[in-house]
Amino acid sequence: MKIIRWLVIVVYFSVAVMPLAWLAITSFKLKEDTISPTAKFIPVASKIESPDGSDTSVLFTASTDAYRRLGAVNIGSDYSFFHYLANSLIIGALSALSAVGLGTACAYGFSRFRIAGAKDWLFFILSTRFLPPLAVVVPVFMMYRQFNLQNTHVGLILLYTSFNLSLSVWLMKGFIDDIPRAYEDAALVDGYSRLQAFWRIIVPHAATGMAVTAVFCLISALNEYGFAMALNSSRAVTVPVYFAGLQGNISGVPWPQVAAGALVFVVPVAVFTVLVRKHLLRGVTFGTIKQ
Amino acid sequence: MVSQRTGLLKYGFVGPALVVLIVLNIFPLLYNVVLSFTDAELVGGGARYVGGSNYSRVFSTAEFVEAIRTTAVFVAAAVSIELCLGFCLALALQRGFRGKSAILTVLLIPMMLSPAVMALFWHQILSGDYGILNHILAAVGLGQPEWLTAPGLKLISILMIDVWMWTPFMMLIALAGLNSIPQYIYEAAEIDRAGAWRIFRRITLPMCAPLLALAVLLRTTDALKQFDLVMAVTGPNDAATQTLSALLFQKVFGDGKTGLGSAYACVLLVIVIALASVFTRYIDFIQRKQGKTQQ
Repeated sequence: MKIIRWLVIVVYFSVAVMPLAWLAITSFKLKEDTISPTAKFIPVASKIESPDGSDTSVLFTASTDAYRRLGAVNIGSDYSFFHYLANSLIIGALSALSAVGLGTACAYGFSRFRIAGAKDWLFFILSTRFLPPLAVVVPVFMMYRQFNLQNTHVGLILLYTSFNLSLSVWLMKGFIDDIPRAYEDAALVDGYSRLQAFWRIIVPHAATGMAVTAVFCLISALNEYGFAMALNSSRAVTVPVYFAGLQGNISGVPWPQVAAGALVFVVPVAVFTVLVRKHLLRGVTFGTIKQ
Repeated sequence: MVSQRTGLLKYGFVGPALVVLIVLNIFPLLYNVVLSFTDAELVGGGARYVGGSNYSRVFSTAEFVEAIRTTAVFVAAAVSIELCLGFCLALALQRGFRGKSAILTVLLIPMMLSPAVMALFWHQILSGDYGILNHILAAVGLGQPEWLTAPGLKLISILMIDVWMWTPFMMLIALAGLNSIPQYIYEAAEIDRAGAWRIFRRITLPMCAPLLALAVLLRTTDALKQFDLVMAVTGPNDAATQTLSALLFQKVFGDGKTGLGSAYACVLLVIVIALASVFTRYIDFIQRKQGKTQQ
């Protein structure tokens, strides 16, 4: 039994990590080594000369060329990778902040006040999460055309805020429900107003929860592709849309740069995943399962 | 009680979020229904009311039937493979060992990454000519399948990427299910000399089932919306991989038929709403059950 268990873990782990390892390896290659008919997986520092001109070596010349060229503009796009990265970060951060802000207030309201039909409202909020984004892409597209929100950061920020609200409200409700009411009651008796009590008691106690929620919102905004593509052809183009656009590159996909860029883009996400690992379960189940 | 005399303040807390949701999610939905009865096009205005003709076109085309089939095959295959793999992994990882939390965290990373970006990079792995997967297959003497271009394999490629991304999700929830089974039940079973298989069938599986069902529901609603991977691997207009979402996208942005696309959206929506209502009811059920055990 023990052997089977370890076999399952080791085999799955190596298969699952392989794409990530390959991503890292590819980012240190030169372009010709990424489309070579032999697998090149051993980096060497020096330049390799094959004696007979045939290319069957598993060695490749390690190079940081791809990282240095991230600042360059690829054929078919208007800016360098960093421009799109900045777009992604601005849109992701602002939409996460507003989703957490609105979500915390809303969750507090549902957690502490008697609101008619509270449960129905909460399930209404949850149900918006299951909307297929593509089912609203047409009307959103037309609304945005009407209000000149196409190709703007604000347009995407608004949209991602609304997509993340369901998660934010549900997660924050879970966190706020855990804060004893006695804390605020004491503050109210001491003459705090409701808003002061919210600001001075609830927000500090819910800070961890807010940070965790913000991370989830940020990641889902960074990863979103469908709307970012449908609503943008210029200006507010985000990283996933930029990469997808490289696919049609006439001179072939610049794989080392794609790998380097993807790595720069996903490493922060991986770091965030490590930071919120204890809350992942809560995050992916909308706070339904607390652990 | 302090929650009296708060009057309108409580609506100040819950209101803004609800307004955002109604303006950006519910209004577009209704607008979508209206559009689906018109012949609106992407460029040029002047949409006219055309009755149910968009819907009769949706239901009479072979594409639609084909897309439903592709979506159903994809969802069924993805969810069942991920469930089995994830549950096996959870069983293997259930007992503690050194470095367990590090391994768990690494395993969870793929599900947090951008599907569009990672799927593009998967071309490096799946390419028929230079992909690492075919290099490995060649090394062990297996064939050289054209993962990204052979009609029969494209959907399998998308499936592979989806399994890579979402198996950890199943594992995470399955582990929570396993951890929620009290140790004394196993001890009691051991005293009764129940065999390992019997313990698994009679204790582990039924006690995990509610959480596994939750995981399956969550994954199903997500897999139904699959779009990013399809776009990155084959584009929206490939007969072999055209899911409902891809078909809808193609109608609206490829062919410019906004009204027709809206009709597709409404059909997709009905399917998702049916599933989501099962889902929200199930969450309600689980929450009430959790509430009971906590008291």
